[in-house]
Amino acid sequence: MSNRPTPRPPLFTALRYLALGIGAFIALLPFAYMIANALKTYSETVTRVSPNPFSPEFWPAAPQWSNFSEVWLGDAFAHYFFNSFIISLVTLCGSLATSSLAAYAFAKLRFPGKETIFSIFLLTLMIPETVTLIPNFLVISYLGWTDRLAGLTVPFLASAFYIFLLRQFFRQIPDSLLENARMDGASNLRILWSIVAPIGQAPLFTVAFLDIASSWNSLQWPLVVVQTPRWRPITVGLARLISEAGPQIQLRMAGALISLAPVVAVYLVAQHQIVDSLSNSGIKG
Amino acid sequence: MRHRLSEAISGYLFVLPAALVLAIFGLLPLLYNLYISLFNWHIKRATFIGLGNYKEIFGGVAPFALLVISVSLLASGCALVGKNRKLLVRLLALFLLACGAAGLALDLPQINSLGDSDMLRSFRVTLWYSLGTVPIQLFFGFLIAAALDGKFDGKEAFRVIYLLPYIVPAVATAAVFERLFSLRPESWANQMLALFGSHPLQWLREYKGIFELLFGLAPTNGAGSLSDYWSTWAGGPSLALVSIMFYNYWVFIGYYALIFANGLAAVPRQLYEAASLDGASPFTMLRRITLPLVSPTTYFLTILGIIGTFKSFNSIYVLRDPSTGGVTDPMSVYIFFQFFHGGRFGYAAALSMVLLVIVVGLTLIQQRSMGKRVFYEQ
Repeated sequence: MSNRPTPRPPLFTALRYLALGIGAFIALLPFAYMIANALKTYSETVTRVSPNPFSPEFWPAAPQWSNFSEVWLGDAFAHYFFNSFIISLVTLCGSLATSSLAAYAFAKLRFPGKETIFSIFLLTLMIPETVTLIPNFLVISYLGWTDRLAGLTVPFLASAFYIFLLRQFFRQIPDSLLENARMDGASNLRILWSIVAPIGQAPLFTVAFLDIASSWNSLQWPLVVVQTPRWRPITVGLARLISEAGPQIQLRMAGALISLAPVVAVYLVAQHQIVDSLSNSGIKG
Repeated sequence: MRHRLSEAISGYLFVLPAALVLAIFGLLPLLYNLYISLFNWHIKRATFIGLGNYKEIFGGVAPFALLVISVSLLASGCALVGKNRKLLVRLLALFLLACGAAGLALDLPQINSLGDSDMLRSFRVTLWYSLGTVPIQLFFGFLIAAALDGKFDGKEAFRVIYLLPYIVPAVATAAVFERLFSLRPESWANQMLALFGSHPLQWLREYKGIFELLFGLAPTNGAGSLSDYWSTWAGGPSLALVSIMFYNYWVFIGYYALIFANGLAAVPRQLYEAASLDGASPFTMLRRITLPLVSPTTYFLTILGIIGTFKSFNSIYVLRDPSTGGVTDPMSVYIFFQFFHGGRFGYAAALSMVLLVIVVGLTLIQQRSMGKRVFYEQ
């Protein structure tokens, strides 16, 4: 089954590539559909169709690039895209800072009640978003933060999950490294910044990617706290386009492509890091 | 001593920012939610009604008590089966399980008629959704993991492709599936059917159950409340929900495969060598070596998948069709709409406390039996 030292028979190799090829075909088919239909005219989305991506009928006769500009400008996706970018950036900076500070403290500093505080942190991981949704909405309304950047970002400026991940890694850094720096009179903040963070680049990067992906993908919370277009993120813009654009499939698909492009770009640039860390720890995205 | 003190002070200061955010937006909301659930809170707070919202959910004290008793009987029965192999204990466990099941069989129709039948439907949807997705994702995930095992050309490319559906925004990919499984004759799913000479289906718009469509197991009417209620289960998950399951397979099978592949890579190869020297067939090795050794991964993915269906939101929000009358809405989505469209804050808060109990229960089962081994040491 697995890890056999003997070379595999050719039949096995053929079957393996066949199975993996079918899997990859299915994984990529919806993306092909998205691209093909984003470039069709409206009438082509109805008349020029085929279930087979290798058939020319699956693709547009002539790519309609104007679909993208129509969504980007006409449906204000440029604005939503910018909103999502700012929301993700603010959340990322905040949660990286709070998480690495807390993770460093839990991993390397001694203070009374440390373990208790850490387990209380972990408790928050069990609570589904549905449970905190209503009270958090009321708190944000009370603070007057609906339709504002603060309402979209502040609740996500810390994550017990990231703290947990970073702490696991920081704990493996030998104390002797930190002791030397301490002898030289370096503060804990300085040690975190100039010793721990450079060593922990890989896990910090993983956390950064997870955070970008989760704030870029979030839908439920922005649906609740955003009523006007001012801070509407791209997921809500896309969901509205789907329910309101009527039969204009090519516009929906163009909108969908725009909204997943940044995540795919980051993913492809850093694929090894991301694939390894996600498959190693059963991380929830 | 002074050094100790300053270290402790930095410790607290470093933890403080995260602690503030997590306390205000992660933990205290739990208490606040409980508070809200005790009110008749319709956008604005109105009268205190105590457990009134919970009564509305379960239809009174008696059905609720019977539910708690039945579930605890089932749970203790499962715990006994897991621990002990003595015949007498097994018989006792079987007895407990039978009592629990009978209790549920009598109680759910009761809750359905006295309490919130929509909540019960959303629970049924969640259950169908778990049953329809997790086993299939495990099976195909394991198959692909087996194909991914070892070293070969193009392995990295396949891994990158298989994780892609999991990584990208669900709203965007659900938008594609909303088209692939639309009721229009030119949709991808209907074109595939046409290849086999079949008539187009309604897919995401079809509220009828698949067993009803396949075998004609339509819900009966007028045969008494007990069988009446259980006949609503006989229709099976709606075709709309099954279409959403296809989306789930597409997102999660690759992810499951990568997690399984890691589990497979950790199986010591000497075991296979020794087994093949003893003349074991590949099937025996699969059954006696591979499956037991990856069972922690299987278990982890199972619980993660079930909890996932109780939390699911984004894809269903896009894929659901309001005209199907909620046959695609698991509990999380039903609660959201009670709150967001219905404005019933107090009632939705009470519903979410019920959801919390279920999710925490599942999480505890996971951590009790193996969470530490699988998860925390990675």
